[in-house]
This record gives sequence, C-alpha cells and structure tokens, in this order.
Amino acid sequence: MAASKSPRQHNNLGKKDYSKLRELFRHHIESFDYMLEAGLEKMLNSIDPVVVFDSLSKTKQAKLSYTGKFFMQVCFQYGDGPDGAVIREKFNFGQFPIMLKSRRCPLGKADSEEKVVAHKEDPSEMGGYFILNGLERVIRLIILPKRNYPQSMVRNSFRERREGYSDKAVIIRCVREDQSAVTVKLYYLNNGSARLGFWIQGREYMLPVGIILKALIDTTDHEIYASLTCCYDEKFDRVKGCVGTQLIGERAKIILDEVHALSLLTRPQCLQHLGEYFRPVMPEHENHGFSAVAAAVLRNYIFVHLDNNHDKFTLLIFMLQKLFSLVDGTSMPDNPDALQNQEVLLPGHLITIYLKEKLQEWLLKVKRTIMEDLDNPNKKFDIGSLALVKKIIDKNSPKSISASIENMIRTGKLTTQSGLDLQQKAGMTVMAERLNFLRFISHFRAVHRGASFAGLRTTSVRKLLPESWGFICPVHTPDGEPCGLLNHMTASCRITSFFDSEGKIRDFFKIKRSILSILVGAGMTPSLPRHLHGGPPEVLSVLLDGCVVGSIPSAWVEKAIFHLRKLKLSAKSPIPHDLEVGYIPLSMCGAFPGLYLFTSPARFVRPVKNISVPPQDNNDIEYIGPLEQVYMEISCPDGGDGGRRDQYPATHEEIHPTGILSVVANLTPWSDHNQSPRNMYQCQMGKQTMGFSSQAINCRADQKLYHLQTPQTPIVRTKTYENYCIDDYPLGTNAIVAVLAYSGYDMEDAMVLNKSSVERGMGHGHIYQTETIDLTEQSRNSNRTPRVFRRSNQDSQVHHLIDTDGLPYVGKRINPDEPYCSIYNEIEGKTRLMKLKGSEPATVDYVSVDMKTRKKANIRFRQSRNPIIGDKFSSRHGQKGVCSQLWADVDMPFSAVTGMRPDLIINPHAFPSRMTIGMLLESIAAKGGSLRGEFIDATPFPDSVKKSDISLVVELGAKLAAAGFNYHGSEVLYSGLFGTELECEVFIGPVYYQRLRHMVSDKFQVRSTGIVDQITRQPIKGRKRGGGIRFGEMERDSLLAHGAAYLLHDRLHTSSDHHIADVCSGCGSVLTTALIQPARRPVRQMSGLPPPRVPKKVTCVSCKTSKGMETVAMPYVFKYLAAELASMNIKMTLQLNNGAGA
Amino acid sequence: MDSVASYQRFPSIKMREVKGDYCKFELRNTDASMANALRRVMIAEVPTIAIDLVEIEVNSSVLNDEFIAHRLGLIPLTSERAMSMRFSRDCDACDGDGQCEYCSVEYYLRVKCHGDQTLDVTSKDLLSSDPSVRPVDFADPSAGIDSTDTRGIIIVKLRRGQELRLRAIARKGIGKDHAKWSPAATVTFMYEPEIYINDALMDTLTPAEKRSLVESSPTKVFEYDETTQQVLVVDPEAYTYDEEVIKKAEAMGKPGVIEIHAKEDSFIFTVESTGAIKASQLVLNAIDVLKQKLDAVRLSEDTVEADDQFGELGAHMRGG
Repeated sequence: MAASKSPRQHNNLGKKDYSKLRELFRHHIESFDYMLEAGLEKMLNSIDPVVVFDSLSKTKQAKLSYTGKFFMQVCFQYGDGPDGAVIREKFNFGQFPIMLKSRRCPLGKADSEEKVVAHKEDPSEMGGYFILNGLERVIRLIILPKRNYPQSMVRNSFRERREGYSDKAVIIRCVREDQSAVTVKLYYLNNGSARLGFWIQGREYMLPVGIILKALIDTTDHEIYASLTCCYDEKFDRVKGCVGTQLIGERAKIILDEVHALSLLTRPQCLQHLGEYFRPVMPEHENHGFSAVAAAVLRNYIFVHLDNNHDKFTLLIFMLQKLFSLVDGTSMPDNPDALQNQEVLLPGHLITIYLKEKLQEWLLKVKRTIMEDLDNPNKKFDIGSLALVKKIIDKNSPKSISASIENMIRTGKLTTQSGLDLQQKAGMTVMAERLNFLRFISHFRAVHRGASFAGLRTTSVRKLLPESWGFICPVHTPDGEPCGLLNHMTASCRITSFFDSEGKIRDFFKIKRSILSILVGAGMTPSLPRHLHGGPPEVLSVLLDGCVVGSIPSAWVEKAIFHLRKLKLSAKSPIPHDLEVGYIPLSMCGAFPGLYLFTSPARFVRPVKNISVPPQDNNDIEYIGPLEQVYMEISCPDGGDGGRRDQYPATHEEIHPTGILSVVANLTPWSDHNQSPRNMYQCQMGKQTMGFSSQAINCRADQKLYHLQTPQTPIVRTKTYENYCIDDYPLGTNAIVAVLAYSGYDMEDAMVLNKSSVERGMGHGHIYQTETIDLTEQSRNSNRTPRVFRRSNQDSQVHHLIDTDGLPYVGKRINPDEPYCSIYNEIEGKTRLMKLKGSEPATVDYVSVDMKTRKKANIRFRQSRNPIIGDKFSSRHGQKGVCSQLWADVDMPFSAVTGMRPDLIINPHAFPSRMTIGMLLESIAAKGGSLRGEFIDATPFPDSVKKSDISLVVELGAKLAAAGFNYHGSEVLYSGLFGTELECEVFIGPVYYQRLRHMVSDKFQVRSTGIVDQITRQPIKGRKRGGGIRFGEMERDSLLAHGAAYLLHDRLHTSSDHHIADVCSGCGSVLTTALIQPARRPVRQMSGLPPPRVPKKVTCVSCKTSKGMETVAMPYVFKYLAAELASMNIKMTLQLNNGAGA
Repeated sequence: MDSVASYQRFPSIKMREVKGDYCKFELRNTDASMANALRRVMIAEVPTIAIDLVEIEVNSSVLNDEFIAHRLGLIPLTSERAMSMRFSRDCDACDGDGQCEYCSVEYYLRVKCHGDQTLDVTSKDLLSSDPSVRPVDFADPSAGIDSTDTRGIIIVKLRRGQELRLRAIARKGIGKDHAKWSPAATVTFMYEPEIYINDALMDTLTPAEKRSLVESSPTKVFEYDETTQQVLVVDPEAYTYDEEVIKKAEAMGKPGVIEIHAKEDSFIFTVESTGAIKASQLVLNAIDVLKQKLDAVRLSEDTVEADDQFGELGAHMRGG
C-alpha cells in the first residue's frame, strides 16, 4: 500500500490542480459552448424561411452582451434582420440565460484561480449550470436512443397500429446537424411488406416502403429487387452470420406489387402521389407544386440526418434487410434499455432545438400578422417599407423567445407543439443543490433514463445491464422509487462533444472524408457509384453516422478496425480520438452484423488502454463507446482472463478497476471489502452530509446551507479524494470509535457520543438561511402602495433588534417570534414587522440591500447546530446511527496505556449482518496512520494493480504491532465507572464520521393543546403549525388488541374532539336542539357579586319542546357527520338510555 | 464493631516523575474504586478558569462570533488561583452576575490587520485583568522566536482591514460542566502487573521458541538474553494486559510458562495536564476535592443538615 508521505503536495506547490474536477463537468459546458459558437448558426440556417409574398427571406445574426443579476445571470442579446437582399436589422431578443463557465461567461474566460476568486466564486468553480432568479439549475442529462443507428425492436403496441401490422419494426432516430431529431419507424406487415412511419403534426403517417424507395431516386423495380435480395446467397444459407433467407425475394415482390397496385410506376408518379397526400398537412407549402411538397416531406421527415436522396435510399434498403432478418429470426432485436443503443441529451442540444421551435413559432406568428395587415384594405401596408415590417416584428415581442428559454430552464417544462421528438415534457432541469460538494457534483454526473419510465410497472428498464460496464456506476443509484432510473456516470466516463482536444470545433466533413479514404484503403467498396453489394457473411455493410458508405469483405474487416484503432490513438491523424468503431461480428442469430462508425457528439465514451497496438505519439489510451465495448476483448486487472482463455486474447485493458465507479462511490475507502448494498447506502448518505458546501459562503444567498464548523480530512482516503480536491470541501471528522456494548444506549444503531468531544467542537455545525424581502414584488400582488424599510419611532421596544434602516443588526441574536425587519407603508403610515419563524433562535449573519432601489434585501440567519441527542451520523460505509446520549467523558471506557477515551461508541451488532469489513479496515488503518503521521491510501482493488503476497490486514496489523498496539486493533479498556478491566478486548480506532443533515431540531414534534380544525374540531396536522401526530387506524387497532380501553378513549376522544352535545330524546336528533337565550332582564348589578347564573335552556326545534333534552358526550365529528348526512336527506336518530340497562 | 474486620487502609502515593505538564506516580494500598475516583476527579472536578462569556464588539473576520467564542473558551488559562476563587453562582460579592474580581477575570482582545500579510490573532493578544490568570504559554525558551509555540494559540487569522474587538470574562468551573474547564488532557492508571516466569518450564523451550515468545508481546516487556539464554522481564509496566504472551505460550503447548497477575491494590497513574495547572498540583487539588466530597458526605451523615443538603439522598445515605 502506498501511503503518501506528503498528501498536501498541491498545497506546497501553492496551486491545486482542479483540471480533473473540471473534466467532470465538461460535457455540460462544451455542449453549451458549441451551441453559442456554431450550433445556433446551424440551427438558424435550417429553419425554413417564412415566405411572405415574393420570397422575403430572413437571415439572422447574433450579437452578444451580458448583464449581471444576483450572482451572475449572464444575458444574451440577439438580433434578427428581415431583408430584401442585404439589409440586416438587429432585434433585441431579450435576455438569454448563459451557462456558467461557458465561453460567454466571464468565469469561463478567467484563466487563473485568483481571477475566479475575484468574482467571489470558489477557486475550483466548475460551472455547467444556469442561474435564474438566484437559483442554480442544471439541465438534466436524459437517455435517448442512439442517433442515426437503426435498431430492431419487438413491441406488442406495433400490432395495434393498424390491421395487419406485426410486432416487429426497425426504428431509427435521425438527428440533423442542428440537433433536432425525427424518429422513423419501419414496420413489418404480416403479409411480408413494410410500412415507413413518421409523425407530422401529432399524427403518424405510414407509407408503403415501395413508394418511398421509388420517390427517393430514379430507379427500377429490378434494382430495388436486386439490392434487397443481395444479402441472400444460397450457398451461405444457414451459415454462421447469414442474415438473408429465401423469403426475402418474395417480400421484395410484395413491396413492388403494392406500388403497382397503386399504379405508381415512376418517380414523378410517386412524388405526385406523396405531394397530393401531404399538402394539406404542410401549411408552409400550400402554394407549392406536389412534387415540391413531396421533396419537402422526404427532406424534412425521412432520414433527416442525410442530405442526399441516394444515401436515404441505401439506408432504407439496409433497414429493410435488417427488418426482414429480424422477422426471419436470423438476427436478434436490439435492447432499447441497453447502453449500447443509447446516447444522452446534452444541455446545449436541448436549448438549441427548443430555441429553434420557438423561433419557428414566432416567425409564423409574424408572418400571420403581416398577412393580416396586407389583407386588410383599410391599412396601407407596404411590405417594402422596412420600418413597417420592423414595427410588426417588434409588436410580436421578440423578447419572449429568450423568456421562454429562461422559463424552460427555470421550470424544466417544455411548452412545445411537436414534442421535439422527446419522450417527456417536464423535469428537464433540476436544482443544483449545494447541500454539500458530493451532491453538487452528482447533479452533473447524473443520467436519467427519462421521466416516462418512472411510472412503468415493469422493472426491466431499471436493471443493471452488463453493457453499462465502465460507463454507468453500478453502486451510485438511489434506492427506492428512482432506483435504476437515475444513474451516475463513472468518474472516467465522458460525453463526446463537437470540440476536439484542443478546444476547436471539429470539421466533420474532413473527418468523414478521411475515414472514408482509410476504409477504402482497407478494402471497402464505396456505395457510390451504385452497384450491387453482397451481404453477410461475405461482406458487411459499413455505416458512418447512419449513412451506408459501403461494404467491406468480412475477411478484411478486422484488419480495417485494427488500423482505425491505431489511428485513433495518434494525435496527428485526422481520425478523432473518440471515434466509435462499432463492429458487430458475424454470429448465429445474434445482433445484425455490420461495421457502425460514429463520430457524433452526445455519445458515452470512456478511456481504456490499448495493448494490441504500440503507443502512438506516446498515447495508448483509447476512448471507446458502449456499442463497440460489447464486442471488444478488454481485460480487467482483477478479473483474470475473464473466461476468454487463449482463443480470444485481450486487445485492451482497463486502466484501473475503480473505473467502474462514480466519483462518489470512489470515495468509499476499501469499498471492495464491503457488502455491496452498504456502498449504495454510502453513496446516498455521502450526499446528505453536512460539510463545506462552498468556500464562498459569505458571498452566497442560498435559501438553506449546511456548514460544518470543524471538519477534518480523512486519514484513510482513496486516490479519488486527492484527484478531485475533496479537501477543499471536507465532510466529516476522524472520530475515535470504540465498538462495544457499553451504557445500553447504543442499541439498534444508536451511538453514544463523548460529551467532552462534542464540547470541544466535534460535529459542530451551522445552518445558514436567507430571507429575501422584495418590497416591489409584494406590492404588485396587493395594493400598489409604496413601502420602504424603516423602523417606527414610536415603538422603541424593537429598537434593540432593528436598526434605523429597518433592518436587523448584524450579529444580533433573534429569538423565535421576535421581529427582524420593519417595513413602513408610506400611505397608510403603518409599520409592519417581519418575525422570525421556527422554534430556534437565529443570529443575523449578513444583511445586503439592493443599493439602486433599496427595495430588496437579503437577510442571512445562522443557527448553531451542535450535536444533540437525536442527530444522525454515519461512517463512510453505510453505517448510520442516531446519537442516543451525550455520555460524560469520565464515564467512557479508557485505555490504561494511552488514557484514550473514545469519541463515539457503536454497538458490535452493527457488523455481523451488514458485513462492512471496510469500516473495520479503516479503523485499523487509520490507527496505524495516525500513529505514524501519514495518510493511508484506501483505493479499492489495490491488489489487482500491485500484486503483493501479504494481505491488507497483515500489512495494517504489522504497523499497529510495530507501534506497540494489538495486531488486530483491539485494546484492553477499563470501565470509566468502576475502573475495572472490561471483560473483552475492545476494537477501537479512528473512523471518519459524517454528520448527516437530518437533525431532531428540524423534526421534533410536540403538542399539548393547540389549534384545532375548524370543521371537525380535531387537532390539526403539520409540524410547522403546531399540530399533532396522527393516532391512526393501526395505532387504534393495537390499543384495541391490548384492551387498553381507557387509553384509547383518552387519545381518540378526550384529547381530540371531546364535545358535549344536547340530544333530544324525543326525536333522537343531535341537530335540532337549540340553545334558548333567556330574555335579558334588567338585573340589578350588585357590586362585588357575580351575576346570577342563568340556567341553560335547550329546546328541540322540531319537537318544539324543551323536555327530554339530554347532554351526551361524543366526538364532535360525530355531530358533524350527522349534519353532513342530513344534507343528503339521511336522518340520524340516537336512542338514549342511561347505560345501566345496556 | 469489633467483630467486623476493619477495612481501613492507608493509601500511599509515591511520585515517580514530575515534569510541568506530566507526572507519574504510584498509588498503593487501596482499591480500584479509590483509584478511579481520583482519576474521575482529576478529569472532571478539579476547578480551573476558562473564558465563559464573550461580548463581541467588532468581528469582521471570516469566523463567526460563536466560533470565536468557542475557540476562546478552549484556551487553557493558568489556574493556580482557581481553588481559592469562587464559583460565580455562589459569589456574594456580585450577586451572581459573575463579573466581580472574586469570581471572574476580564480579558480584552483588540486586533486589526493593517498589513498585506495575514495576521494571526493568538492567545497572546488577550489582555488580562489579572496577571496571574493568563493564557498558557507553551513556549519553549530554547526554541527560536518564530516557532509555532512561541506565537501562542491561534484564535483566528485576519486579512487586511479585518478586525476583532471583544471583551471576555473567564470564570471558575469544572470539567463536568464543560470540557473547557477540565485541567487534564489525560489521566489514566494501570494495575501494576506481577510477572512470574516458571523457570523450570521455560528451560524446556528451545532458544527459538523463547525468542518468539518474547517477540509475541507487542510491547517490550521481556527480553531474551542471548548469552545466558534466559528470558528476562525488563519492563513489567509495559505490559498492556493483552495476554499475547500467555496465548503464545498456550499455542506452544506450554501453558503456565509465564503467569501474569494484576496487583489489585496498587496502581500506576499517568497524568498529563492541559497546562492550566501543573500536573503535580492537579493531583493534590484532586485529592483536596475528593476530600471535600467525602467530608460533605461524612459531615452530613447524621445531622439534620443532611436533609437540607442532600434531600432524599441524605436520608438514603443514612440508611433510611
């Protein structure tokens, strides 16, 4: 084990290396950067020009600026110009939210930590989020089907599409250069034909493939037939890797016959047919010819990732072959839940497509107003007049576009007509909570499967599949409702972007061309010029980003891949380092074979060592994707040969076994020695720990911040701890933990804290809460009276709490229900006091006022939260416990040799069933480490990297023995109460303990009497309002079962809604009785004597008598029930007797 | 009474080693209850003086008021006066508001950073109203002027423009109430071990066995003399009652080759003080406190005062 002798090396050098930390956030920022730099332009180019009269096209250009808000809301102005030919006009499109640390953010430009600190941000600030109304929000990464990759699918719902449909289809999610996507489905019909389905304006249209094939290019029936059947060759029938069957020819005939039946023989006929069919649903093409409409349909809805009709044709042929192979069982359906068929939705991409849709909507609106004005004969509207057009555009509020983007990020809701080809419309963003650093990081590494899967009753989407090895952390997922849906990327996993390693935007055209030339050099036959290619097993189709670029003989493909991988390593070659070489080899009825290359962004990639090729330019780290990983031979250091023996030698090697873990899971020391669920619990609890949430806590105005006063760096830590500079945000204390049953207060996961340790500062913490008082905002809702912060001169009682400016003194302690702020209403001349809520005193930590208007103030309160009975703590091994007693130091067991008393006692029963051996190891290691003054490296799977003969325990035990301690970490302790030796030796040593944010002060609930519900007169619920805890049915049942009748009566009646009702024994009604007020006689008031008691007189209104009135004790709800029943014409009568006879 | 044997014993203390903050002594002729009582009193009931009330005038440092107050409280103050001082709750002179000279010591701290360098505010910046009660000085005269010890205990660090101004009141208290009043860093005692080597049995062991037996103890209790081939006890007090040697002997098949017993009536104490009181004084004070406590019990044994002083407990003690 390598114990680092100088763990704070980076401190000695004066600079910390935050680059690894920043790497974790890169995909968020890069996607946004790309959107700013190039993505917007691409998107704008792809927007259909709105045509008013004679081709008035619109081009746009962007202008940037930013304003600061709260912390740093950076904004973006945006121009637009309508022009006949050259005139460009700038339009203000409002304030556009900007991602922190992006290239338009001043933090992104700040190159040194000092500059970042000068902006009052943490030196390690990673960015990647937006700030809206002072709240930090992250755009969630959501799993999407892999783009431009045809996937075969079997779903019962396909059968319900229409009569004759089977449950099989091939689906491709096509993504344009501007990131907008259109999904196309190729359904198989039971009669052997196929239908191409796509959505236009919320309706799915399904066309016979024959029409599309013919409409795409000028072709002949024979050519279609031949290209479909080329994948079948009799001599390979039922040979390994063969996908075609004899039936394919029959099916081709059926497809062609269908077109003939519609008497569509030529391309123009097909286009005409499509045009006629689709013109009604394409309003922007209403003035165009049928063939132009058809061309638009093919361009905008079918295989939109391809520009060329020929490419679309070949792709459709390929998809048909894949579909038929699926039907014939020569290939398996692809699993949509497997990571190899997935990619991720990046923030920049989401904003781009959303902005595109909003711009399109807005342009149509502008067009409509122009048209209306043109059609209106009363108005003289001249389209040539730029001023008039500008006026109309301004009238249509271009600023609303940025506002809608802002709104989307703030609420996470998409308001869209088309759905943007996404499965969900809400929950796109989440708050980046700064509860502690781990929670904050996790927001940026989290990948959600999609909100639509959360409600699904099946659990198959939640399964941990072997495909996600190395990309998705198997440990770091919450348990409970979102389990398996909310995953986290491993620490080494990256998302591909548009930027190359030097930060330049990639030239995809160049990349594609060089890949093609390499492939052709390796023996690929390009698909152009058109001629017949064979099919598997002889040749394999090559797809590059969803375009069938050619075919390659299967004998040569391995060599080609080897060559490509070699070039991937080289920095000089034009092949990008993250090219995905998805080679699906020939198999008996496995996945559809082929060579699938991807250069696209938004793919998962991870680094592995390539051991089959000598390092290129000193680089042997290759980035691989999940599609190729499945078919690669990657050896894991602690996995032996992985069962591949000698036939399939490993070509790649894992860098380190911890590569499968996320950042948070990597922080658990020796997690390889723990039972796996415990590591999952730690991932959850690590994110609930009180720690250092931010270095710049005094410059922040978060609603709630938790802060640990005296944190420590763990003695036992993993390499990840140093790599990601967690020392900047520590989250715990090294506590001396004794494992013994002492005091009896440590049962059932309770733990006893040493009172003196707590008094010396262990686990001390604070909660910071900020109240924002905005006077302008409040006055909008009610009356528009101007109000200012000012204190009343009359009421001098509050002067010790509130200063002359109406705001509290900084450092003043304020008790619950005491005022902290005074607001003066200038019209009414009254002052209103804001009072402190809650049940704890708070100290005013910080007051800031908006100096421009003096109408807005932030008041930050600080509450001390020192450990008390009921607070929750946990070690880093999923061992949580509640403090049950602050035990006097002298009563704690002590060691005779060192005099050491433990800080904390836990019960030995916490171990056998939970098997958290890592915690025991941590205790031993930390003891040895603290004796020698060194940190201990507890990175999991150490022996897989450094083979050592001696086991970890032997190594750690030797250190203890050398320092004169027991080899196994146990010590002889003496009872603190009696001074006698304890029977057993006690396992004792330092363990890093986290203080969790769940504290009794926020949770305890107590009530004697208090507010009751208006209607039922029962105690209300809710801790905040002073309500009680419900004594429910099950509690009632248990008291009944115990026969505790008096207690039951007390709980449910006396202490609840006890009521004495008057009942008329005549009619048995509780409702008709009325209290008669005796006529008030002028009684002489004799001084000193109480007024004579007037006897209560009750009458029954319905019986019109006051005889037979009885008083009965009953729950008030019973009376209420009678009233409710009466309102439904149900009469309730009570039969009274005095109980003696009953 | 004669029929009952007298349990009266005459405990004796023999000081072995006395250094300012550290002392080691033997306590003989008594039992564990007495030894433990002494330990507990030293830790929790010997009074010292510590800062108990802080009035902050200006605090523009990075640490908040409570944090600084807590840190001030934990600074050990020289507390030779503590035994003769009054608890402020019992003080007649100031009616219990705890601000008079009999029960409190006043401190002032006024620091502002004017330079570009970070300024350390330390315990040396505390100005005391009573020169006999001042922050403990750990300075080693032999060490250089810039050694960390001579600068005192750091309270907070200030950057340019930051200021800390406060008044603090130190009071007498005991460690039971708050750990800051505890004068002891560590007090521990061990039973004196009696180590008996069965020479006859030992002679049956080979030299290698003897060596491994000696090495089985993590602490250096035994030594193997190569020339005489004898196992010797060099430091019986290094024995931690871990029984490693005995287990080893059993594993060798020679149980009883070494026997170790704890002497029930003699203890070896190790005391380390925080610096508030000298370790030797701490022992004496502890004995005084223990005496007072015993006196309180004895005096009130059969008096009416017992009821006043102990209430129900008094009656209980009298066998009621």
